[in-house]
Amino acid sequence: MSLEQIILAYGMIPRGVIALVAGAALGLSGAILQTVLRNPIADPTTLGISSGAQLSLVLTTILAPDLLMAGRWPIAMSGAVLAAALVMTAGARRAFAPVTMVVVGMLVALTASAIATAVTLAQGEYLLSLVIWNGGSLVQQDWSGVQALTLVLSLGGAAAALLARPLRVLSLGIEGASGLGLNVAAVRLAGIAVAVALAGAVSAELGLIGFVGLAGPALARSLGARSIPERLVLSTILGALILSVCDGLVLIVAGTSGEMFPTGALTGLIGGPLMIWLLPRLRGSTPPGTEAAEGPAPRRDRPMPLLLTLLAMLLAAAMLLVGIGRVPGGWAILDAQSFADFLPMRLPRLIAAASAGAALATAGAILQRLTGNPLASPEVLGVSGGASLGFAIVVYAFAAPSGAMLYAGTMTGGVIALAVVGAYVFRRDMPTERILLAGIAVSSLASAVLSAMMASGDAKSWTVLAWLSGSSATVLMPGALGLLSVASAIWIAAVAGRRWLAILPLGHGVSAGLSLPLRGARLSLILLAGIATGAATVLVGPLSFVGLMAPHLARRFGLALPGLHVTGAALIGALLMTLADFGARMAGFPYELPLGLFASLIGAPWLFWLIMRGQR
Amino acid sequence: MTPKTEERGSLSRRAFISAAGLALAAATSGRADPGGPRLAAIDWAMLETAVAIGHMPVAACELIRFRAESPTPAIPADVVDLGLRGAPNFELLQLVRPDLILISPYYTRYESRLSRLAPVLNLPFYIPGEPPLPKALSALGDLATAVDDTSSAIKAHTRAKAELDAIADELSGFADRPLCLINIGDARHLRAFGFDSLFGSVISRLGLTNAWEGRTRFSFLAPVPIEQLATMPEARVVIVGEVPAHAQRSLARAKLWKALPPVSDGRLYQLPEVNAFGGLPSALRFARVLRDALIRQQTVQL
Repeated sequence: MSLEQIILAYGMIPRGVIALVAGAALGLSGAILQTVLRNPIADPTTLGISSGAQLSLVLTTILAPDLLMAGRWPIAMSGAVLAAALVMTAGARRAFAPVTMVVVGMLVALTASAIATAVTLAQGEYLLSLVIWNGGSLVQQDWSGVQALTLVLSLGGAAAALLARPLRVLSLGIEGASGLGLNVAAVRLAGIAVAVALAGAVSAELGLIGFVGLAGPALARSLGARSIPERLVLSTILGALILSVCDGLVLIVAGTSGEMFPTGALTGLIGGPLMIWLLPRLRGSTPPGTEAAEGPAPRRDRPMPLLLTLLAMLLAAAMLLVGIGRVPGGWAILDAQSFADFLPMRLPRLIAAASAGAALATAGAILQRLTGNPLASPEVLGVSGGASLGFAIVVYAFAAPSGAMLYAGTMTGGVIALAVVGAYVFRRDMPTERILLAGIAVSSLASAVLSAMMASGDAKSWTVLAWLSGSSATVLMPGALGLLSVASAIWIAAVAGRRWLAILPLGHGVSAGLSLPLRGARLSLILLAGIATGAATVLVGPLSFVGLMAPHLARRFGLALPGLHVTGAALIGALLMTLADFGARMAGFPYELPLGLFASLIGAPWLFWLIMRGQR
Repeated sequence: MTPKTEERGSLSRRAFISAAGLALAAATSGRADPGGPRLAAIDWAMLETAVAIGHMPVAACELIRFRAESPTPAIPADVVDLGLRGAPNFELLQLVRPDLILISPYYTRYESRLSRLAPVLNLPFYIPGEPPLPKALSALGDLATAVDDTSSAIKAHTRAKAELDAIADELSGFADRPLCLINIGDARHLRAFGFDSLFGSVISRLGLTNAWEGRTRFSFLAPVPIEQLATMPEARVVIVGEVPAHAQRSLARAKLWKALPPVSDGRLYQLPEVNAFGGLPSALRFARVLRDALIRQQTVQL
């Protein structure tokens, strides 16, 4: 064979075929998940399965590359299974409520990619193979990938055929199905196992290819596929077509402009808009009562001493931590001279970290009260995603951007994302929890664009990657004071809005009965949370979990009334972030870890505890 | 995963930071060039440039990784490690009391912050579309002027010129075929070093042609499909750095890879890891390892 023939036979044709096979596998996986969970927005991406595979691959590549000698399959598969197990356990505790499942899944996905970023950064190396993998490239050079995926797809197809009937019985509802003698748990487990195996196989072979599993079944439904077998078959075919079309587009762009970007980044782009489109269709698919808030919190009779103690702890921690530090060879307490030298550097950082913590915690408290979802955190509001995107665009658009330009870009991105979510809140009169999904949609769009930039990228990707995990080292006094005033203003506004925060969660009827401007109240609270998140994101990066942890801790301490809850959360958030800042500076001295990253490492175990605990 | 630099010290109330700072200053001042200013390098290309003109900085960033990647230039153990390049440790930097801080445009966002500690010298090395070697050479002069030791740059420049000329002579027999400089990402992707990368810039100085010349707009970090190598059947392919273990395994049995003329005809060479974003020392080291590989016919089989 001539070289051209070899390229055709071992490069181009397998690429075309693998697009079909992988797309079919993802479409089938999504269709099975959606049927089993009765959740029209479930797919391997939104349930965190693909990200689980990603994290395990990143960890293995960096920490134990020898394990990869046996191929990526076992590694990616075990990561996918672990993530799926986590999300499913959480789902089982919450009656598989669709929105909650996806919020859990996206939080798992966010955490997994944050940890993956962290490990890559700490390694101080730009790993080409990881960038390629994160992008999800379909380039082939032999038929081995096609063979492996075809085998998995046929096994998965056979399993789906066997499952079609039990799944139809399951669609009658749990009570009806068990009444007909169906082992509901076994059918669910089998269905999910098949879906995870399909998605994990694609991850192992090609990398992250998002949202095909969401798009295939969605299209199948809108084309009128009613019965379950119809839906499974049509989703599989449409999945194959979608991925092929996307890959075709990538090839056309590569052919005309010479720009190579991975196909997975393109499919990621359709995810965000698709979810926004699907959201209204979610109505009625959730059994009532399944997305309820946590049970009544304990209530403390005299909250003032607690709040004062928290304030005292915050001040004490600030005083203490500003005065000690590490030097090569050991720890040291500053003397007067060094204290005077270091204060101009440490004080802004301390103020900024505490303010960011307070702002995030306030935002978290507002969102959790508003949605009644204990997993609502500023991270899923989309503002951070938009802000990261703004930052990345400035980094790429200008040769040597200044700090002010980066700040402006970040703020603009956050504001646009917030406007999208806000418009959504205003236009559609839907359950507040769905707003979180609009935020998630914006986030996933942002992360798709980011990964496309990284994959086509240059050394600038490094800057973006570093910023994504948060850096507080560069903040100066004016910036710190600005953040402090934003945090204070938001706290005051939230306390002033405590009546809304108390009434809105009680639902439509009550709010209307008390003649509350429902839309206006909701919109202003969401805007408040968004501004707080955006301001903090500039400093901490898009992920920290402080906004998740602090409101919970405040509740557990018995701060039940909205005003007290917000105040307590803000104080706890400030304290947590102050400690995280100290830890980030000291843990790897002289290598300073990014603040957001360090805070996430504290917050992630909390998140998992929260997920696993289920509802009271 | 966290780099450990020092053995854990005990919490000693006597170990006042200012004392430690003085000790740092004392420990690092008796060396290199006692009369010259104390340099702190955030950027690696700047670190290398300082070393090239004989002014070893007293502090630099990410030394653990730097030493792992570049056996030369050797960095003495008493140079203080300032942490990640992306997040330098400003407090430690202040303790070191530098007279001049060296950065490149990648770190412009820190410039105002750094300039509070000491004057900052910001020199460009890597700009898309522009060959970096001339910039690395002119950086010698700029830095030497800043440290008031212009003769050091002239010396370094002359030495580099002589060495590059010598290597160009030795390699003149290899001008018959273009060179394709790559880095393997996984079994299906590589990245290619174009004319605006350090290595591409060096080979054109050596009088060799780059098979990737003018192919992409900016040609270093973007992963390209491996089949692109088929468009340059006549080239010698030089892999810079390690090939990941899993890529090695699947390349060994990949039809397309083995059918590529440079691979099947034994025109595949491999070099050790060289800092692709370095300064003049890395450029010279690349030229040397390239000469060794080509002249000794060190072809590899994957």
